[in-house]
Amino acid sequence: MKQITCALALLASTAAMPVLAEDITITVWAGGSNDSDHYRIDNIMIAADLLSREAAIRGEELNITVEGKRDFDGWDGFKQAVTLGAEAGNAPNIVVTSHLDIAPWASAGYIVPIEDYVDLDSWPLNNVYANLMEIATFDGTQWGVPQDAESRPFFFWKDTMAKLGYSDADMNDMAARVQAGDYTLRDMLADAKKAVDMGLVDEGYGFYPRVSNGPDYAQFYQSFGGELMDPETGKLVLDRTAMTEMYQFFVDAVEAGVTRKNHIGTDWDQWYSEVASGKAAFWHGGTWHYGRYTGKEGNDDFFGTIGFTLIPAGNEAGRANTITHPLVYLVTDQEEDRAEEIAAQLVSIASEPRLNTLHAIASSHLAIGKAESDLDLYAGDRWASEATDVLLPHANAQPNHPSYGAFSEAMFKGLEAAWAGVQTPEEAVAEIEAQMSATLGDELIIR
Amino acid sequence: MNTSLKGNWLLVLAMSLMSAPLVIMYGFQLIDSISRPAPGGIIPQEWELTNWRFLWEPIDSARPSIWRVTFNTFVFASSTALLVCAFSITAAYALSRLNFPARRFFLAGLIMLHAFPTITLIIAIFIVLQFLGLYDSLMGVILVKAALELPFGIWIMKGFYDSVPWEIEMAGVQDGASRFRVWRELILPQVKPGLLALLIFSFLAGWSEFILPLVLAPGADAQVLATYMNAVIADDTRPDYGLFKAIGMFYALPVIAIYLLFQKRLMNIYGGGTKG
Amino acid sequence: MNRQTLLGLSFISPALLAVVMFFLLPVVLTVVFAFTNMSTSTGILGGEYQISESDLRRLPAAGVSDEVAEMLTGAGYAVRPETLALFAADFGKDRADEFDTLHGGATFNDRRAMERALKDLRGDPIRVVRERKAAAELFRVSILGQRYPTEAEFQTAIRELGIPEADHAALTKAAYTGWTFTTQNFELLWELPATWRYALNSTIYVVLTLAFNVGFGLFLAFSTFYLPTRTAQTFRAIWFLPRILPPVLYVVMWQWLTWDQGFISAILRPFGIEPINWMRHTATHAWTFIVLINGCVGASLGMILFSSSLRAIPETHLFAAQVDGANRWQQVRFVLLPQMRWPILFITSYQTLSLLTSFEYILLATDGGPGRQTEVWALAAYHTALSNYGGNLEYGLGAAYALALVIIGILLSALYLRFFNFRDLVAKPRIEQ
Repeated sequence: MKQITCALALLASTAAMPVLAEDITITVWAGGSNDSDHYRIDNIMIAADLLSREAAIRGEELNITVEGKRDFDGWDGFKQAVTLGAEAGNAPNIVVTSHLDIAPWASAGYIVPIEDYVDLDSWPLNNVYANLMEIATFDGTQWGVPQDAESRPFFFWKDTMAKLGYSDADMNDMAARVQAGDYTLRDMLADAKKAVDMGLVDEGYGFYPRVSNGPDYAQFYQSFGGELMDPETGKLVLDRTAMTEMYQFFVDAVEAGVTRKNHIGTDWDQWYSEVASGKAAFWHGGTWHYGRYTGKEGNDDFFGTIGFTLIPAGNEAGRANTITHPLVYLVTDQEEDRAEEIAAQLVSIASEPRLNTLHAIASSHLAIGKAESDLDLYAGDRWASEATDVLLPHANAQPNHPSYGAFSEAMFKGLEAAWAGVQTPEEAVAEIEAQMSATLGDELIIR
Repeated sequence: MNTSLKGNWLLVLAMSLMSAPLVIMYGFQLIDSISRPAPGGIIPQEWELTNWRFLWEPIDSARPSIWRVTFNTFVFASSTALLVCAFSITAAYALSRLNFPARRFFLAGLIMLHAFPTITLIIAIFIVLQFLGLYDSLMGVILVKAALELPFGIWIMKGFYDSVPWEIEMAGVQDGASRFRVWRELILPQVKPGLLALLIFSFLAGWSEFILPLVLAPGADAQVLATYMNAVIADDTRPDYGLFKAIGMFYALPVIAIYLLFQKRLMNIYGGGTKG
Repeated sequence: MNRQTLLGLSFISPALLAVVMFFLLPVVLTVVFAFTNMSTSTGILGGEYQISESDLRRLPAAGVSDEVAEMLTGAGYAVRPETLALFAADFGKDRADEFDTLHGGATFNDRRAMERALKDLRGDPIRVVRERKAAAELFRVSILGQRYPTEAEFQTAIRELGIPEADHAALTKAAYTGWTFTTQNFELLWELPATWRYALNSTIYVVLTLAFNVGFGLFLAFSTFYLPTRTAQTFRAIWFLPRILPPVLYVVMWQWLTWDQGFISAILRPFGIEPINWMRHTATHAWTFIVLINGCVGASLGMILFSSSLRAIPETHLFAAQVDGANRWQQVRFVLLPQMRWPILFITSYQTLSLLTSFEYILLATDGGPGRQTEVWALAAYHTALSNYGGNLEYGLGAAYALALVIIGILLSALYLRFFNFRDLVAKPRIEQ
């Protein structure tokens, strides 16, 4: 099929074309997007304007109408709408979604590889960080382009740390110490325990993790030496030792009184207001939390009150790390190859540093490309610049594997069971091992 | 029998206590929508109407205006209700009064359908709609919602037909009228209260629906009030409880109005169906 | 066919058509899906044919010989005389000759590398991106990652590659991207420890909610029975509203009541009780509120039905009891309650089925939390089939969950039909013409 379409494209571009007005409508659906994320769609509109102008200079009349939609009822409704639309043959041309959707959607034939239409080695795509670009690949094919970047740092409350005896210089060194593996999760636990014992924070507020499942917990697995996917075979990996030690870490945190036993399921609004006001000593979150802490929660002195680092290593086997979970632009399979081509070109233009910076700063996300740091808008934003330096070079992503969802759910369920004291870490790991081998079968390596 | 308020004060007190949580929820739903509580508190500080701003200005650039959404919801709910009623009045009469093959089978099937989990059918429903070319159209969603409500509707209407005395029908037939005429001229007026109750109930069911339109007609701009409200709540960068409450109030107003108008009818929805 | 039959059939057919098309057929399809591995990855309406890089290592297990797997592996693009000839035909001999001197005999793993090589052309560069891509395609020698819409096209492609006939069937089967029939969903359900927890949760949910519905429905019916009409009406209105309020709104009201900065926490703070999330603090909290939330909706159904049955009881029975000096409790216990046997049984059986399949309020309230402690069977079916963080929705497995509910539903309703004297219910119409 590809050969046929390529031949057609060849014909179309080599034949001397009469100047004909070409009208095309491109629909963009963005999942998980609220008001501050409107550049996910607006950038495609700006790109359409640029593309039409380029066409006009070549002497072609190309009218592109962009229709955007992002008022979905959460991720579930968005994904159902996209997949069913694709089945029915009227999917939107461009979707903005999690990179984890690439594997299933590519297998199902809902999306087409962006590399079929645009040159990855030319501007602006060659400016995109290679590790981010890699996240939008599956089975050796470049399916999409990262739309934004984020990462999930570890935070500490500076005031509490000062009372624990850390000087300002110590706190400034913290990021480097964590990165070097000098300050581990165990050290953090000891500090958190001290903070609770000294009454600096309430019991259960020494270490205040995320309240629901998310990529964040895979970070702790990596902190203890776990590996999510085997690079050789592309199979998912369950490292029993790492998993047990990670579960044990949370159990120890509960036993030491620094984390609440029933912490999972805490209300998000409550969680935000507590961490932004210093009720917790240590916690972990996302780079986009900056917007929430300084906005809705009213923390006016973010840099004076909150410090951030990578997620510390847990033991010798592990490393300090952070996971980035970028959204990606994907181009869907359409009847008309021309629509796919235009959509891919729009995605490419929307990845221009200047356009992407609009989104990054408006929504407290990070840059997808190197050149964005040179733009005033980006460089002038202290949070974006610092977070980019400290976090992004060390960020990895969760694997694009069709069964990763099942893997992640099982891992989290086991963690919850151990955390709540329903099972010991060993029992919990044994149960998820049974569950994962049943659901993943051949796609899992157990170590 | 003693039914005075005084003689039953203990009972009234007990019931008031038990109803308190519900009454508090209703009350604050109203109060919070037109006032601003002190931060962290619950006592209203200032009376204001800013929570109702969604009526005259869009609250988010990507969302359609509330009136558009309300109109969608209204079209969806009323078409569903009309379809359910139109199909139920005939089907229920047939099941209640007419003798035809496989009647017992239909009745048993009706009761069993009640036991099926409807939302998990969504993928299969999609295939059917796609096959009929009705996917991504409001018409398709309305048909689906009506079909899912039908077993309930037929069951209720059958109850009402069952309670119409046979004598009325016998008399009509003896006068030489056809069964169709008897149904239309003699029986239908008897089940009018039931029909009205069913109409209201199906309307309310359509008014509450939140999954079907979004998934089965995503491109048709078929956003309804339930999804609108859920999307506003899900927007966690700027939670605004006053706004939720005001939108909730707006959403509930027709329901409350309907309740006040048709209280008696609604209470009689199961009027026919109680015989075990 | 007599006229009554005709009228009956024509009266029932519109409803029948709607129900069969949009309710019964989907149920049947769902039963079929339960025996498939359908998921987002496989698509719904059928698949295509493709061997991808990650498929390669699965091939031996799928019965494809090692040599074939070996043949499929390897560089995707090669500059050979035959590919150069294709290139020359479309892009001119000069370019082909230059390219031959530059990269003759070279192989490239992916298209990006191939395109980079094509950029080396200096004499007459290929300037347009899409032309370069089309040119790169001409050098493709592997079928890895290529999608073929039909089986025939795929088989032609592997024949051209020289794959032995013996392996065609197995390879085609392995290359199919759509869903296939399997019984592994049921094996999985049987093996997963979570299955039993969901079943237990469903039992807890149904039993507790039902007890609340019937008990409280009875209480409401009896109390309003003894109260003056206006007072009774007020209470009925209060308890009826949850049934007709949109669930989204109704649950938000409960959330406002129970969250950390909500009503309960606020009024308990002066008493020194730390604010907690009353709905999600522990499993017990969650269950309490789930039963209350569902119960307040369900109790009104009981209240309405019981009230109308109460009104049907002749008042003389009560007067007689009063004359005998029975107090109110005794009246209820010995006079009224015995007459309510049928309505109570009806509500119990009707709501058992409704509750088994309902999860809307739980989804909105706790979403199965904390820690899947309130994940009931129907909610698990929903989560598996329609909501998954990783993106791969397992329609087949979700349908298997749903099928279990369908079977329980059919068995229970068959039982009820027996029990409630189905014959009465479908008593033959008395007019025979």
